[in-house]
Amino acid sequence: MSQSLRPYLTAVRFSLEAALTLSNFSSQEVERHNRPEVEVPNTNAELLLQPMHISRNEHEQVLIEPSVNSIRVSLKVKQADEIEQILVHMFTRFLEQRAESFYILRRVPIEGYSISFLITNKHTESMKTDKLIDFIIEFMEDVDKEISEIKLFLNARARFTAEAYLGEFVY
Amino acid sequence: MSDWRRIDIDAFDPESGRLTAQDLIPPYSHVITAQELQPKIQQLRSLSSSGDISSAIKLATNDPPYSADDATKAQYMMAVLETLTQVRQADITNILKGLNPQEQVVLVKYLYKGMSITEGQKQGGILLAWFEKLTQVAGVTPIVHYLSDRQTV
Amino acid sequence: MLHLKPNNLLIQKTFSEALEANANGAPLSLDRIISDFDYTTFHVSNSPDDKSVLWLSIKTKAWQSVTQCDQGKNGLLPFLASKYQSAKGISIPQSFENGYDYTLQADLKTIDQDTINQLSLLKIFVMNYPFQLAFNEFVELSNMPVLEEPTGSSTSSSKNLYTIEYRDEENIFIRPSNDRITVIFETVFQDETDKVLGKVFLQEFVDARKRNRDIQSAPQVLFSHEPPLELQSHLRKAANNTDLSRRFITFVLFPRHFQTPELQFSTVCQLTLFRNYFHYHIKCSKAYMHSRMRYRVGSFIKVLNRAKVDEDESETAGAEGTKEPVQRRTFTGRKMVY
Repeated sequence: MSQSLRPYLTAVRFSLEAALTLSNFSSQEVERHNRPEVEVPNTNAELLLQPMHISRNEHEQVLIEPSVNSIRVSLKVKQADEIEQILVHMFTRFLEQRAESFYILRRVPIEGYSISFLITNKHTESMKTDKLIDFIIEFMEDVDKEISEIKLFLNARARFTAEAYLGEFVY
Repeated sequence: MSDWRRIDIDAFDPESGRLTAQDLIPPYSHVITAQELQPKIQQLRSLSSSGDISSAIKLATNDPPYSADDATKAQYMMAVLETLTQVRQADITNILKGLNPQEQVVLVKYLYKGMSITEGQKQGGILLAWFEKLTQVAGVTPIVHYLSDRQTV
Repeated sequence: MLHLKPNNLLIQKTFSEALEANANGAPLSLDRIISDFDYTTFHVSNSPDDKSVLWLSIKTKAWQSVTQCDQGKNGLLPFLASKYQSAKGISIPQSFENGYDYTLQADLKTIDQDTINQLSLLKIFVMNYPFQLAFNEFVELSNMPVLEEPTGSSTSSSKNLYTIEYRDEENIFIRPSNDRITVIFETVFQDETDKVLGKVFLQEFVDARKRNRDIQSAPQVLFSHEPPLELQSHLRKAANNTDLSRRFITFVLFPRHFQTPELQFSTVCQLTLFRNYFHYHIKCSKAYMHSRMRYRVGSFIKVLNRAKVDEDESETAGAEGTKEPVQRRTFTGRKMVY
């Protein structure tokens, strides 16, 4: 792991650890509703806690928005150029379309971020919190790796096909 | 009024008991103004430029301007950020050991705030170094305090 | 499959089947539509009179522009006829099938595999015509004494610009000069993603020759957003010159690429397939990325499932109650994990 990545992931890990103390909480306003308070617009302000920004640089950030019964984790994945932008978009959309199998994945990222997770008390009741954190950390590591690998592959393939095509003209 | 279904009628009801973000700000007996804070900013700058980061951090984390308005806080934040980014990596742990738990909580507030503004994001590496060392010294405690504290820097 | 083949596999297969069936004495009844790249359709059908005679008709978008390349000399039909002259069992009917541009008649009693090969190259032969004109003109130009121009430049390029309009908004332009032939592809990307991926691929075409010494003798490739100089006078007339997603790829062919008829033919095959080739590889890359992402999703789910509490395991641990405290439950009966 690179030198600057480790503190970044440590910060995310500790922040998540602190924030993932969720409890069951029924809506204060609507009878028999139980909704993730962080997603409710105009909710009671006392149910929301201080949001946490963790940024490695302008292009790689995490925003954690905690509330009494849910937290929302949004990642901004590094997008250095046009190709990475497209790849990140393709990849996150690919994941979001399969959101049911990811339980905690939000179908749409919040404004300004590449991908968002929504963890509710339901999830922390059926899953181990530290393993959930492991998942998010591993996800962050792997997305970067995956994007750069795909990019390398794309260039390699383009180079290979171009050379193969032009090779046909060598007599 | 095409969007009438989406109107949040509870917001218009004074009796609804709903709290807004404004309601949560603790009452302060005295609101610090930008003028009053100026000497402290000066002191902070001179301490950090003379290299005494340890005292500068002590000063910054001791009695932060909770009651000031947003513009004043932002101004103060810039001065703190300068201090935070001028430190040498090797010194961080020692400085942190000199802070008491209250000061550590305040430092966490500065770090999160710093990383949420563009100026701080450019210096993300050094802020994260502070953060990592702090968790090594104090663990998750100051972060939990930060989460539930309504007093912001 | 790295390279696309110039011949149409389905035509080959259809005719081979028909040939075999005919040899066995049971000629097939055929009425088959075959599609090829670039809005090209073939129609294979029996002749109404004789089941052992097949018609192969072609309809292609490029036809219109290709016939106009020689300014009304009507050279395309004789050109195609000359290509099929030597092929066994091929004759050209007086009138072409309704709705198609060109028809060939193949007598199954006399054709062989070689003829079938020729038939499957029909589309390439149509596209070949403007290239042939360019090759001819190149010979003329290079034999002409070079006029000393005041600017000192010794290249004289033809006034003719052969255009093949082979897709809706995409054209091939061919301009011969006395020392080279310039082939320019105009291409449009419909999709944002394709545009970016296309840029990566096309850039590699430009760089490949510089990087790899083995293919130094390949044609030079240039890539630009702006129409190249050769085209500017031509395109100014065209109204739809504003599209920002247009790209121009220029191949510069030197005499070594078209010295003999065999070289000419293989060069033309490669060039006519250029667009198909790189679009094909863009699609392939996308497919690969897709399968890769699918795999990634699987591995992520595996990691996430590690977090799930195994129901049975905690149940028994609680029941035995040796060391583990009895599982706490929430009001709804759900187990508490933390």
